[in-house]
Amino acid sequence: MAIPPIAALEIGTTRTVVCVGETDESGRMKITGVGSYPTTGVRKGQVIDLTQARVGVESAAKQAEKMSAVSIWQVLLATSGGHIQAAVNPGMLTIRSADRVVSKEDIEEVSENAQTITLDNERQVLHTITQSFTVDDQPGIVKPEGMRCKVLTLNVMAVHGLKSRIDNAVSVAKSAQLEVSDVAFSGVCAALAVLTPEQKRNGVVLLDLGGGTTNYIAYCNNVISAVGCIAIGGDHVTNDIAQAFNMTQSRAEELKRAEGCAVLDPEASGRRVVLPAQVGFEERMLSCKALNTVINARMDEMFCVLRSKLDDAGVLPHLGAGMVLTGGGAYLRKVSDLAHRVFGLPCRIGLPVNVDGVDTVEQPAALSTAAGLVLYGQMTFEDRGLFSPLRNLFKGVFRR
Amino acid sequence: MSQEQQSGLLLLGVGGGGCRLAASVLSSYGSGLRALGVDTDALSNREAAAGGLNCLLLGGALLAGHGTGGDAIKGRMVAQEDMRNLLPHLQGVRTVAVLACLGSGTGGGATPEIIKSLHDMGIATVCFVTLPFAFEGEARRKAAERVLPMIEAKADSMVVIALDELFSDAGEGLLTHAIQAAEGLVAAGLTLLWRLLSKPGFIRLDAERLHAMVLKGGNARIGFSSSEGPNRAEQAVETLRACRLLRSGDALAKANALLVGILAGSDLRLAEIGEVMGKLRGVCKSDCNIEMGTVLDPRYDGRIELVALAFESWTAAVMPESRKDSPPVLEPPVVDAFPIQSGNRKNRGKSSKLSLNASGRGKFQHVEPTINDGEDLDVPTFLRRGITLER
Repeated sequence: MAIPPIAALEIGTTRTVVCVGETDESGRMKITGVGSYPTTGVRKGQVIDLTQARVGVESAAKQAEKMSAVSIWQVLLATSGGHIQAAVNPGMLTIRSADRVVSKEDIEEVSENAQTITLDNERQVLHTITQSFTVDDQPGIVKPEGMRCKVLTLNVMAVHGLKSRIDNAVSVAKSAQLEVSDVAFSGVCAALAVLTPEQKRNGVVLLDLGGGTTNYIAYCNNVISAVGCIAIGGDHVTNDIAQAFNMTQSRAEELKRAEGCAVLDPEASGRRVVLPAQVGFEERMLSCKALNTVINARMDEMFCVLRSKLDDAGVLPHLGAGMVLTGGGAYLRKVSDLAHRVFGLPCRIGLPVNVDGVDTVEQPAALSTAAGLVLYGQMTFEDRGLFSPLRNLFKGVFRR
Repeated sequence: MSQEQQSGLLLLGVGGGGCRLAASVLSSYGSGLRALGVDTDALSNREAAAGGLNCLLLGGALLAGHGTGGDAIKGRMVAQEDMRNLLPHLQGVRTVAVLACLGSGTGGGATPEIIKSLHDMGIATVCFVTLPFAFEGEARRKAAERVLPMIEAKADSMVVIALDELFSDAGEGLLTHAIQAAEGLVAAGLTLLWRLLSKPGFIRLDAERLHAMVLKGGNARIGFSSSEGPNRAEQAVETLRACRLLRSGDALAKANALLVGILAGSDLRLAEIGEVMGKLRGVCKSDCNIEMGTVLDPRYDGRIELVALAFESWTAAVMPESRKDSPPVLEPPVVDAFPIQSGNRKNRGKSSKLSLNASGRGKFQHVEPTINDGEDLDVPTFLRRGITLER
């Protein structure tokens, strides 16, 4: 069955992005339409003003419709925020058959057990990710079918978030006349678009540096081992600059993009930036060193917080393929140098290489989440079993 | 040129309450005090002017002398508009003591703007602000507390006086009496402090040390007491220790530095000074830096008045070079004893002085904070780490 075009919506803290993707004959996903519009009404990934946020969604959707020549009325939605958490839930099963051989039915049953996760009423499960089986006391089994054992255990990681926060984002889409067919965690989506199978096998951690949040997802031995989000992002850098030098947020953002550097660059030491006069403000000079000191302090702290989270999850020694940075924040100058210094891992910038059609886009790493969400739609549609439970998606999603 | 003008000190009352306080200080201080009031209400301006205080009307064009109606935004706007009217009064001024009653439109709105402008002009500010009585309502209390961080960010030193703490039994008196009595008490304490700063008496403080302590000591608690009779020195110390503004002696016990002023008549005996200081030393920490000064005024014959400024976040680093041999401060500053957490005072004058509370959160002010290990990560990192920025 051919997959219809898939539309993905990311209501980011700084930009709202809509991506439309279509699969070619080989099954490779191509982004055929992109719409992007500055977001207002969202802080740290959370909607604080429905009406303002709706404007961004409508505008981005219109652009994407125009570019892809499809009419969008149903979307997949990416969500993020400090409320997103992950917990590993083990499901156990005593093998009842006389020969103690694990059957297909046993695997289904243990899978069901593992997915029975007790959460507070206000929380909603976004993904249940199968990690690995343990056959009696032997961990790390990928396919236990046919093996002999008494007890079969399956670890499932549940990624969950606050229902109210997710519903708010869904309401924004609804107010823009878009039906939300499914919601996915932004970090998982970015990983789908950016990471290669080899990196996942060797162990890799992806940091998605967003405006209001930073998502992380770590693969060890091809298994998702740590997922999470901290509510700190590029907006914090901008806010720090604005506070340090008494300027507006928009001016601080411009300054960050034009002159910002994540490390204290000796070349820039002693250099001064001219801030041209604006209405009500005279022209003034600013020390590059002071600017980068502010940025470095924030980024260093953010990476230290993330390192502590990855350390707690015990994944740092298993990251043979190092670290990949993506998202808009990855374009901050020398951010990978700083990450390398803090994490002690080889570090590079990751683009959404698992989709086509983003080469011409300016700063493609900023599209990782939306592009990955399109891939997520494709995967769930094809029921490859990575994410479950499979939802009934895309019944007549688009009208040409 | 008068002694007042030479000293470069100006007393500035902001808003109705601030002007009343300034007028009270003016009347009890006597002639020669350089004082000014600014308010948006023409009527209360006239009242303050009747008390001898030179009063400027703020926002005449916008508010037509009708006041802000409790709107702090209006207070801030008119202060921004009319700051230039203050400039002629700031000739030769090095230090301004700002008096304001927070919770109102002008006091709460204009005070932070005025302090910011003074700071930008390079004029040092010592800010004495009162927090409203609890019976004045939650809204006024919240409005007052919102302003505190903004003042703290730019003022060189801030003394917060919670009016509720002035009386141990607030139940019986009339409202007007309570407010008058509170203002009277505050004015008496300020007068004594002002005299200490401007007209030192027999035992005088070195001007640089006094300024270093008052202007760079950070947040402080003020307390005052008065006593008469044969045991006046002992009683005055006991009353001071019981003063609720000093948290019933707790602030004295935790202070890293203490400024004590003794106001008395010409009958003050040397033994009495010794008794006051001896008892206070017994209450304070062994390494507390205590500075003392006296003001003698024949009108105070038979009486002794004490005023104490207790600096809990003071460190030896703020003293002039000559005093660096003083013992190091062993105990960290006690932040819970004061409603506002102080910033890194060591870096005052060198780096940004935004405070570590709500005002430092900028665009994240009204969103759920990101807390990690008890730290609010929405507050800029360079502020929390006390990083000095090259300007």
